[in-house]
Amino acid sequence: MTYRIITRTEKNRGRRRFLGFLLYINKRKNTDFRRAKILFLLFKQNKKTPILYFFFRSIADSNPIMLTVSVKWQKEVFKSVEIDTSQPPYVFKCQLYDLTGVPPERQKIMVKGGLLKDDADWSTVGVKQGQKLMMMGTADEVVKAPEKGPVFMEDLPEEEQVASLGHSAGLFNLGNTCYMNSTVQCLHSVPELKSSLVKYSHSGRSNDLDQTSHMLTVATRDLFNELDKSVKPVAPMQFWMVLRKKYPQFSQLHNGVFMQQDAEECWTQLLYTLSQSLRSPGSSVNVDTVKDLFGIELASRIHCQESGEESSETESTYSLKCHISQEVNHLHEGLKHGLKSELEKASPALGRSAIYFKESRINGLPRYLTIQFVRFFWKRESNQKAKILRKVDYPLELDVYDLCSDELRKQLEGPRQILRDEEGKKLGLKANEKSSSSKDGDVKMTDAEGSSNAGGESSVAASQEGVPAGKETCLTGIYDLVAVLTHKGRSADSGHYVAWVKQENGKWIEFDDDNPIPQREEDIVKLSGGGDWHMAYICMYKARTVSM
Amino acid sequence: MSDPKNDAGTSQPKAPAKDPKKKEEEDLSEEDLALKQQLELYVERVQDSDPGLQKVALESMRHEIRTSTSSMTSVPKPLKFLRPHYGTLKTFYETMPESDLKKYLADILSVLALTMSAEGERESLKYRLLGSEGDIGSWGHEYVRNLAGEISQEYIKRQSEEAPIEDLMELVQQIVSFHMKHNAEPEAVDLLMEVEDLDLLVEHVDKTNFKRTCLYLTSAARYLPGPDDMLVLDIAYTIYLKFEEFASALQIALSLDNMQHVRQVFTSCDNQLKKMQFCYILARHGITFELDDEMVADDDDREALQDIINNTKLSESYLTLARDIEVMEPKSPEDIYKAHLLDGRASAGASVDSARQNLAATFVNAFVNAGFGQDKLMTAPADSSIGGSTGNWLFKNKEHGKTSAAASLGMILLWDVDSGLAQIDKYFHSNDNHVIAGALLGVGIVNCGIKNDCDPALALLSEYISKEDSSVRIGAIMGLGIAYAGAQNEQIRSSLTPILNDAKAPLDVIAFTAISLGLIYVGSCNEEVAQAIIFALMDRSESELGEPLTRLLPLALGLLYLGKQESVEATAEVSKTFNEKIRKYCDMTLLSCAYAGTGNVLKVQNLLGHCAQHLEKGETHQGPAVLGIAMVAMAEELGLEMSIRSLEHLLQYGEQNIRRAVPLALGLLCISNPKVNVMDTLSRLSHDSDSEVAMAAVISLGLIGAGTNNARIAGMLRNLSSYYYKDASLLFCVRIAQGLVHLGKGLLTLNPYHSDRFLLSPTALAGLVTMLHACLDMKAMVLGKYHYVLYFIVLAMQPRMLMAVDENLKPLSVPVRVGQAVDVVGQAGRPKTITGFQTHSTPVLLAAGDRAELATEKYIPLSPILEGHVILKENPEYREDS
Repeated sequence: MTYRIITRTEKNRGRRRFLGFLLYINKRKNTDFRRAKILFLLFKQNKKTPILYFFFRSIADSNPIMLTVSVKWQKEVFKSVEIDTSQPPYVFKCQLYDLTGVPPERQKIMVKGGLLKDDADWSTVGVKQGQKLMMMGTADEVVKAPEKGPVFMEDLPEEEQVASLGHSAGLFNLGNTCYMNSTVQCLHSVPELKSSLVKYSHSGRSNDLDQTSHMLTVATRDLFNELDKSVKPVAPMQFWMVLRKKYPQFSQLHNGVFMQQDAEECWTQLLYTLSQSLRSPGSSVNVDTVKDLFGIELASRIHCQESGEESSETESTYSLKCHISQEVNHLHEGLKHGLKSELEKASPALGRSAIYFKESRINGLPRYLTIQFVRFFWKRESNQKAKILRKVDYPLELDVYDLCSDELRKQLEGPRQILRDEEGKKLGLKANEKSSSSKDGDVKMTDAEGSSNAGGESSVAASQEGVPAGKETCLTGIYDLVAVLTHKGRSADSGHYVAWVKQENGKWIEFDDDNPIPQREEDIVKLSGGGDWHMAYICMYKARTVSM
Repeated sequence: MSDPKNDAGTSQPKAPAKDPKKKEEEDLSEEDLALKQQLELYVERVQDSDPGLQKVALESMRHEIRTSTSSMTSVPKPLKFLRPHYGTLKTFYETMPESDLKKYLADILSVLALTMSAEGERESLKYRLLGSEGDIGSWGHEYVRNLAGEISQEYIKRQSEEAPIEDLMELVQQIVSFHMKHNAEPEAVDLLMEVEDLDLLVEHVDKTNFKRTCLYLTSAARYLPGPDDMLVLDIAYTIYLKFEEFASALQIALSLDNMQHVRQVFTSCDNQLKKMQFCYILARHGITFELDDEMVADDDDREALQDIINNTKLSESYLTLARDIEVMEPKSPEDIYKAHLLDGRASAGASVDSARQNLAATFVNAFVNAGFGQDKLMTAPADSSIGGSTGNWLFKNKEHGKTSAAASLGMILLWDVDSGLAQIDKYFHSNDNHVIAGALLGVGIVNCGIKNDCDPALALLSEYISKEDSSVRIGAIMGLGIAYAGAQNEQIRSSLTPILNDAKAPLDVIAFTAISLGLIYVGSCNEEVAQAIIFALMDRSESELGEPLTRLLPLALGLLYLGKQESVEATAEVSKTFNEKIRKYCDMTLLSCAYAGTGNVLKVQNLLGHCAQHLEKGETHQGPAVLGIAMVAMAEELGLEMSIRSLEHLLQYGEQNIRRAVPLALGLLCISNPKVNVMDTLSRLSHDSDSEVAMAAVISLGLIGAGTNNARIAGMLRNLSSYYYKDASLLFCVRIAQGLVHLGKGLLTLNPYHSDRFLLSPTALAGLVTMLHACLDMKAMVLGKYHYVLYFIVLAMQPRMLMAVDENLKPLSVPVRVGQAVDVVGQAGRPKTITGFQTHSTPVLLAAGDRAELATEKYIPLSPILEGHVILKENPEYREDS
C-alpha cells in the first residue's frame, strides 16, 4: 500500500491560509477493501490558521475505473483530473480543493441534470472520459449582514423623518394668515429662542405677566415644538386664536373674513410679548432673553442748530429701519439714513419749539440683527398703506462696523482681527490645522491663539450677559443673512407674505405657507424689489462671532 | 397600361365629323401626313381580298408600329393615326376566316387596344390570346405592362367563374421572363402575386437580378395578408438558396421561424467560415439551436460553431467594444443622476438612507454597468476589509430590495458566466432568504442568452424551485425563465408544471412559474404547457382573479403563441370559458401576443375597437389591448407611425385605464429609438395629473432612450427628478428611466428587431412584453415587492454594435461607413443604401435606423447585413494600389 501525501499551502487571496493535508491513497496496488471511508476533521490550531485534515482509508474495488476529465473553474481549466469512480464524489471534491482552494462543502460541480452530490454513485452520474465538468464556488467570505443594519427613512417614525428631510414643516394658511406664518417661520429659525421657550414652563407664570401673554408664549412654544416634529404641514390654530386674543387688531374682519395684516406688526408684537414673558423670574437680575437676542442699543446725539444745544440719550430697539428714498440703492445707505432723523421739540434755551437733529449710532449689537425695510407708508389720498417698490440690494454678509459708536468699535476691533486672521488662514495656507472654520459662529479657538491675539480684550456689549461663562463668544459686527420675510403685492394689507429661511444645513427653504420649497442662495438676494416679485420686508441677520 | 391623358388628348378633337379632322390634317407636318396616308392605305389593303396583299399590308403596319413603340412619352404616331380605323379593323377581323393572317391581325389589334379599347374591356388581352403568340417584348414595355394589368383583372374574373386559366398562365410566363430580363423585377413579382403563382419566379431569376427580386419580395411580404406573406418569403428563401446566398436565406428562414429551413441552410453550405457567420446570426436572434453531424460533419468544427450559437464569447466581444470606446470605467448612480446640474432643488442632502432610493440606485447601477463586470456598489475590490462595500451596499437595501440588489450582480456580470457564477456564489451561503433569492435570480440573468454544456443555471437553480420560502422559489423560477428563454427545455417543464397545479403554492409563485414557462416555451404553441396554465387559471378563486399578479397567467399563455397568429385560436376559444373577471383580459393578451410583430392591420383595428368602448365596471382588459396595438404594429415603419397617431387619439378620448397604458405602448413602439415627436408626447404625459400615467410616461421615456445616452431625454429626466423630488414613487420611476437611458453606458439596445429591422427576436420581445405588462399595474408590481420584474428586460438587451472579425474570429479594425439607412426597395440600378454617413473603424456603435457598409474593398463581408458580429474574408482580387 502506498500513501501519497499531497501538501499544499494555499494562499487564499491573502485573506486566510489554509493548510491542507490530503491523504491520498493510491489504490492501484490495493485491492482488499470494498468501501471508502472518509474522515474530515478540521482543527483550529489557532484562530488564523485552520488546518484541514483529510483521512480516508481507502480501499477500493477490485477493479477501479479511472476517468480523466477536465474541470473548468472560473476562467481556469484544469485538464486531465482523474476521477476514481470507486470513490464517492467527495474524494473528487477533495482533489479539486487541492487544486482550487475551495472547500468541498462550497464546491458545486455541474453534471448533467444537476449538481454532483457528495454521496452520489459515479455510475449513475454518467461522467464520460474526457468530459468537461464545471465547478462553481469560491473560498470567498460568505456575506454576512452587518450587525447594525442601516435605518431607512421609510421605517422612521414621522418625527424623525424631519431630520432627514432637512427642513421643518410648513404652516397651513388659516385664511389670510400668511403674515403670521411667515413671521413664525422666521422666528422659528432662531435656535436660542426655541431653547429658551422650552425652558418656559406652564406654571412658571410670574405675577407681573398677564394671562394672555402667558398663553401666547405657551402657544408659541407648542407651535415651535410641533414644527420641529412634524413632516406634514402644521395648522397653527391654537397660536392664532391666542394671538387674536392678545392683540385684537388681528381679528379685524373684512367682508366676513379675517383681514390681511402687516407682518412687521405681528413680528414686533410677538417679540414684545415674548420679551415680557421670557424674563427669568427667579433671578434678581432681570435677564431678558429676547432683548439679549434681538435688542439693539442705540446712542443718539440730539442737537439743535439754532441754539447749539446738545444732549444725548440711549434707547433700545428690536430692529433697525432701512429708510427708502430716492438716493437709497443699498441696504447700507438705507440704514444710515434711518439712523438720522429730524424732530421738532420745545427748546428750553429758545423757549419755543425748534428743529433738532438726531443722530444715532449703535452702541450694543444683538446676536440677531433684524432689519425692517420701511416699504410701507400711509398714503393720505388713497387712505391706505402704500408700498415703495424701489429696489434695495442687501448682502448675504452685512458689516455694521461703520454704524457703531466709537466705543463699540473699539470693542469690536479685537474679534474682527481674529476673524480676519482666521479667514486669511482658511483662504491661504492651511498651516495651522488647529484653526477651524468660523462659519457657523460657534467656533472653538485654541487658547494660545486667543490670548496672543487679543489677550486682555474685555467682553463686548451689555447684551452679552446671557452667554455662559468660560470661553467668551465675541461679536464681530459682521452678520450673515439667515431669514428674509418678503412681501409680494402692492399694499401692506394685501398681497402675500412668504418666509425664506436658511436651514442648519446651509440650504435655503422658501416657506410658502404649507409648502416648503428648496431654493438657491443666489435667488435669495434677488428678493430686493424693483418689480412685482417677492421683495424683502424684514431681514434677519445672525452675528458672526469668534470665541476668545 | 393605357395612358388616359394621351388617350383623351387624341380622341377629343377627332370625335366630331370631317371638318376639324381636315383642319388637323393641315396642322400635320409633311412627314406625318405621308405616314398617315401610308397607314390608311395599309388599312385599306388589309381589307383587300387578296391574302398576299393583306399579308404585305399587315407586315408593313406591324413594322411601322414596332419601330415607333420604343418611346412611350406620348402615344406613338402610328397608333395615333390608326386610331380611327380601330373599329374598322375590328369588324374586319370578325369576318376573316381562320388563318395565319387572322392571327397577325389579332396581334396588331392587341397593340392598338393598348390605347384604344374602352376601360375594363381587356381587348388587348383578348386579341393577344387570339394572336400568334410571338415575342411579347417586340411590342415594347408599355404593351407588356398593360397586358400584365389586364391579366390580373382577367385572372380574378376567371377565378370567380372557375374558368380555366392555362392560356393566361402561358402569357404570364412570357411576361415574367420579359420583365425579369429587363430590370423590371417588381412588375414581375407583382404580376405573379396577382395570379398566385410565385413559383414561376424561381425559373426566371438569374445571378444579376435575384438580389433585387428577393429584396422586393421580402419587403412586399410585410404588407401581405395571411398565408401569402409566408409564401412570398418561402420563394425568396428558395431563390437565395438557389444562388447560394446562404446568409440571406438563413435570415428568411429565421423570419419564417422554420427550423427545417435553417437546417437546410447548414446542410447546403459547406464553407466553415460561412457557417460561423450563420451561427452569429442565430446567436443574435437568440434562439436555441443544436447542430448535428449532418449539418457539420467535423466534431471540432461543430463544437466551435456551437460555441458561437451559444454566445459564449459575447461577453468578450462586448468588453472589446467597451475598451475600444473607452467606457470601461464603472459609473455610480450619482454619475447618472448628475444632481449638480440641478439648481437648489436637489435632494436636501438626506442624511438617512431611503430604502426606495437605494433600490432605485441598485437598478440604475445594474443597468448602467450591465455586462461590464465592474461597478462601484456591488463588485468591490477584493482586498478591502472584510465585508467590503459589497456587503454594505447589499444590506443598504431593505428586505425584498436585497433580492434585487443581489440579482443586480448578475446584471453587472451579464453574459460572463464563469466569473459571474464565481462572484454570485458567496450569496448562496447567506442566511437571508431574500439574498439567496437574489443570487438565484442573478445566476439566471448571467446566463441570459448564453448556453453552456454543463447547464450551470439548471444545475444550480433546480434544487431551489421546491424550497419552502416563496421568495427563494420565485428567484429560482424566474432565474430559470430568464436563463432558458426559448430553450424549450423538457426537464425544466417537467419540474415547473407541477407547481402550476399545486393547490398549496402561493399565487405569486404560480404567476412567476407561468411566466417562466411562457418564456422558456415562447412561440412554441406547446400544448402541455398551455394546458397547465389554463388549469392554473381555472383553479383561481374569485378573489385571486382580481389580483394584479393573476394577470401574468394570461400573459404567460400568450407568450406561448407569440407571433404564431392562427395557432392561438384553439386556446382563445378555451379562454372564453374563463371567469368573466379574466376572460376579456385573457382574450386581449392572447390576441395581441399571437399577432405580435405581424403588422396585421385588421388586428390593430380590432384592438382599437376594444379601446373605444367606455367601461363602467372597472375592467382591466383595455390595458393589454393598448399594449397589443403596439405589439402588432411595431413590425414595420408605416404601421408604426400610424399607430402612434391612433394612440394620440386614445390619449385624448380614452378612459384613465387606457391613458395609463398609452405611454407604455409608445415606449414599446419606439424602443431604443428616441423619436422626437414621441419624446415630446411622453414628456408632456410625464407631468400628467394622474400619477400612474406620469409614472408610465417616465418609464417609457427611459425605454425609448434605452441605451442611447440621449442628452435630451437625460435632461428631461433630470428636470423630472427635481420636479418629483418629494414624490418617492415617481422619483423611483425617474431613477429607473435614467438608468435605462444610460443602459450599458450607451452600448446596449432593447430593440427586439435586428438585422435591418427584418428579424424579430422572440425572446427579446417576450422579455419586454412581460416587463410592460407588469408596468400596467405599477403600484402592485414595480413599486411593490416585485420590482425585480424589471430584470425581464435583460432578455432584450443586446450590444448595438458592429464588430468585424477576421477568419480566426479575432476583432478586426476596418473602416466602415455608418449612416442613415435608405429604402432602396424597387429602385433601379445600384442606389446608395445609406445617407449622411461618417466613416469609423470597427467596432462601431449603430443607432436606431443606422446602416453600415464597408469602406474598403480589402475585405468581403460574409453577412449581407453589417450588424453584430460580421466575419470578413480577405478579398483575393484586392490590390493595394487600385
